Amino acid sequence: MVTTEAAARRTDTPPRPRRRRGIQQTRGYRAFQVANGIVLTLVVVVTLYPFVNIVARSMSNEAYIIAGQVNLVPRGFTLDTYQLVMSDSLFWTNYRNTVFYTVTATLISITLTTCYAYVLSKKHLKGRGALVGIAVFTMFFTGGLIPNYVLVTSLGLKNSVWAIALPNAISVFNLLVMKAFFESLPTDLEEAAAVDGLNTYGILLRIVLPLSKAIVATMVLFYAVAFWNSWFAAFLYLDQQELWPVTVYLRNLIAGATGAENVGSITEANEVQAEATLKAVTIVLTTLPILLVYPFVQRYFVRGIMLGAVKG
Amino acid sequence: MFRRSWRHAAAATAALLALASVTACGDDPSENLSDKRAGAMDNYAVGTQFKATEPISFSVLYNNHPNYPLKNDWLFWKELTARTNVTLEPVAVPLSDYNQKRSLLIGAGDAPLLIPKTYPPEVHAYVSSGAILPVSDYLDLMPNLKDKIEKWNLAPELDTLRQADGKFYLLPGVHEKPWHEYSLAVRTDILDELNLEVPKTWDEVYQMLKAMKAKYPDAYPFSDRYSQPNPAGNLLNLLAVSYGLAGAGWNFQHVSWNATAQKFEYTGATEQYQQMVQYLHKLVAEKLLDPESFTQTDDIARQKLANSKSFVISSNAQTLVNDYRPDLAATNPKAKITKIPLPVGPAGEVNPASRLENGMMISSKARDSKNFVAMMQFVDWLWYSDAGQEFARWGVEGTTYVKDAAGKASLAPDVDMIGLNPGAPKHLQKDFGFANGVFAYGGKPELVQAFFSAEEQEFQQVMNARTPKSPPPPFPLSDEEREQASLWETPLKDHVYQATLQFALGQRDLAEWDAYVAELKSKNMDAYLETVNKAYERYREEHS
Repeated sequence: MVTTEAAARRTDTPPRPRRRRGIQQTRGYRAFQVANGIVLTLVVVVTLYPFVNIVARSMSNEAYIIAGQVNLVPRGFTLDTYQLVMSDSLFWTNYRNTVFYTVTATLISITLTTCYAYVLSKKHLKGRGALVGIAVFTMFFTGGLIPNYVLVTSLGLKNSVWAIALPNAISVFNLLVMKAFFESLPTDLEEAAAVDGLNTYGILLRIVLPLSKAIVATMVLFYAVAFWNSWFAAFLYLDQQELWPVTVYLRNLIAGATGAENVGSITEANEVQAEATLKAVTIVLTTLPILLVYPFVQRYFVRGIMLGAVKG
Repeated sequence: MFRRSWRHAAAATAALLALASVTACGDDPSENLSDKRAGAMDNYAVGTQFKATEPISFSVLYNNHPNYPLKNDWLFWKELTARTNVTLEPVAVPLSDYNQKRSLLIGAGDAPLLIPKTYPPEVHAYVSSGAILPVSDYLDLMPNLKDKIEKWNLAPELDTLRQADGKFYLLPGVHEKPWHEYSLAVRTDILDELNLEVPKTWDEVYQMLKAMKAKYPDAYPFSDRYSQPNPAGNLLNLLAVSYGLAGAGWNFQHVSWNATAQKFEYTGATEQYQQMVQYLHKLVAEKLLDPESFTQTDDIARQKLANSKSFVISSNAQTLVNDYRPDLAATNPKAKITKIPLPVGPAGEVNPASRLENGMMISSKARDSKNFVAMMQFVDWLWYSDAGQEFARWGVEGTTYVKDAAGKASLAPDVDMIGLNPGAPKHLQKDFGFANGVFAYGGKPELVQAFFSAEEQEFQQVMNARTPKSPPPPFPLSDEEREQASLWETPLKDHVYQATLQFALGQRDLAEWDAYVAELKSKNMDAYLETVNKAYERYREEHS
C-alpha cells in the first residue's frame, strides 16, 4: 500500500493534485514515506521468504533438499510426506483434538477474561485494587511445574480437556488490555442504559459487548492462536496418545525421525524421504488453518489492540 | 511461647529422623518380604517361565515412538498376559520429551511403578529424594539377572552404577558383548580410484586424507557432522577412546582412569589428550579436515558429502543407510560409501563401548505393594531371561518368526522389519509391538544384532574381536560432593572445549599447552580430581 502511494506521488509532477489533498507534503515527509515503503517491503520479504521456502521444501524431493537447491519453488514435486503424515489415523484423531481443545479453551478463556476485565474496569468497585493485584501477581510468580501438576492431578482434571482449558484460562496480559478498552468506553452510555432500566448484565450484554466486537475478536484470535500452538499443557496432563493435540503428535514425529533415540533401529525408505521434509510439512500443516482464519479477523485485530492500548 | 513451640518442633523433627532411620534399617536386604509375595512363584529360577499365580497388573512409563505408535491391541500385550498373567498399564509419553515427563512424574510422586529407558547418569537426580528403589538390594529376587552378571562377568560394570551408599538404583540393559556403533564413513569409490586400502589406524586415515587432497585439491576430504550442541561431538569421542581416554566430545568425561598410577586424571589435561589435539591440528592445518566441522549443522555436512565436496564423515549404521547412501544415489550414482571399522589409535585394538545400556528404575512405591516379589520376578523374566528377551524382540514363534533346524530365528514371511521382507503386509513393530525399544534391549550378540544388516554384522565382528575396554573403578560421590563437583564441572568443560577448538584450528599455539593446563588448574581442576580420587579411595576401602 505505502509503496504504491509513494510511487504514485513521485510520478505526478504537477503540484495541483497535491494541493487538493489539503495538506502540503514537505520534501522530508515524502522522503520518509519512500524510505518507509522500502523498509516495509524488505520486512515483507524477510518474513515471507522463510515461509515460502518452507512450503517449497515440504513439496520437494529430498535429493534436492539435501543438495540445497530448493528456494522458492518446489523441485522434484512430491507429496509423499504429506501422504505419510496424513495416512495415519492418529494424526486425524489428534487434529480433531486440537480443534476441539482450541474451541473449548478459547470459549472459556474469552468468557472469563471478558467478565473479569469488565468488573475491573469499574472504578467504583470496592477491592478493585486487590482483584487487579491477584491477577498481576501471577504474571510474576508461579507455583512451579510440579505443584501445578500436583494441583491439576488432584483436582481430577488429568486426561481431560479441562486440564488444558482451565489452568491457562486467563492471560493477564489480555485481561489488562481488555480492561483498558472497557475503561475507555464512555460511562455516559452505560448510565443512560441504566436509566432506561437495564441491569448490570443487560448493560454488559446489550450495550458494552456489541461496542467491543473489535477487542473481543482480537482476544479470540490471541487465545485461539495460543491454544492452537500449545503443546506443553497437553504433554504434561494427557497420558494417552488418543488425547494428544496434533502439536504433540508432530513434535514427537520429528523427534522420532531426527533424534538419536532410534539408535539400533533402521528406518525404512519412505521414512527417509519423510525425515528430510517432515519439519516443513509439519509447519505447513499446523499453520495452515490459523493462516486461513487470520485475514478475516485481522481488520479487528489492528483496531482492537490500538483501542485498548491508547486509553483516552 | 516461641521457645516452647521451637522445642516442640525440634522434638518432632528428632522423632521423625529417628523414625526415618528405623525405616532405613528396615530396608535391609534380609528383610521379611513374606507379605509381599502375592502372585509370586515359589520356585522361580533360571529357565522357569514366570507366570503370576493370580492376575496382576503394573503401571509402566511408556516411551511412545512415532515410528510405531502404541496400540492397545498389539499381540505383545495379549501374549504377555497369556504367558505371565501380568497386564501392563502403559502411561504413554511422547519420545520427544520423555525425560522431562519422567522428572515431573517422579517429582510429583505420581510415577508409574516401572520406569524404563533411563540412562545411568540420569539416575543421580532421583536418588536423594528416595523416590527410586535401590534395586541392588533385591537382586536375589532376580535369578536371571544374577545368572547373567555371573556368566558374563558384569560385576565391574555394575559397580560403576553404584551410588555413595554402595547401592545401585538402575537395572541396566546388559549385553554379553560391547556394542560399538559409531565410526567414520568413507567413500570407497574414491579409495579405489586412488588405489588405497581401507585405513586401519588414525595414521592411515591421515595418509588417506592426504592422498584424497592431492587428487581433489578443491575439496576438504573430511567434513564432519554431529557438532551440535558440542563441537565435533563424535570425532572427539572416537579419537579420545582411541587414545585410551574415557571419552570426549558428546561423551565428555571429566576424568579418565590411569591404570599405571592407580588414580584418576583429568581427561582434558592428559598427555593423550594433547596428542589427540595435535593430530586434529595437523588435519586442519593441512586442509584435510574442514574447519567448519566443529560448528556446522548435520544438514550442511550431509550436503557437502552429497555434492562430493567431502568424502569422509562420521557415521553409525543408520545414517549410512538412511542418509548418505540415498543422498549420494540422488546426486552421484557411481559413489560408494561404507562405514570403516573404528580406526586404531595408541590405545591399541580396543572396543570402547560399554556393555551396559539404558535401563529401568523402579518406583519406591512398588516396595509397599503386596505384589512386589511377583513384580521383580516379572521384570527379571521379561528383561533378563533368554525366553523373555527373545519374546520381546522376535515375538511369537510361528506367528511373527520362525526358527530353522539350527535354532536361528528369522522373520515370518508375512512380517516386515527394516525392509527385511519388503512388501510383507504386517510389521513386527507397528502391528505386533515387538522389537520395541521399551521392552527389547541387551542380551546375546545374536539377539542384539538380529536385525542388523550383513555389513553391520561384519563391522560388529571386527569390533568384537578387539579387547573390551575394562570399566573404570567406581567413585560414587556423596550428595554434597556432587553438588560441589557440578559447580566446578561447567567452567572446566567449557574451557576444555574452547581450548580444544583453538588448538585444533590453529588459533592458539600448541606450545601453549602448559599454560592451558595451568588455566584448568585455576578453574579448580586439582580440587575436582582430589574429590574424585578421594571418593574412589573411600569406596575401595569400604567395599573391597
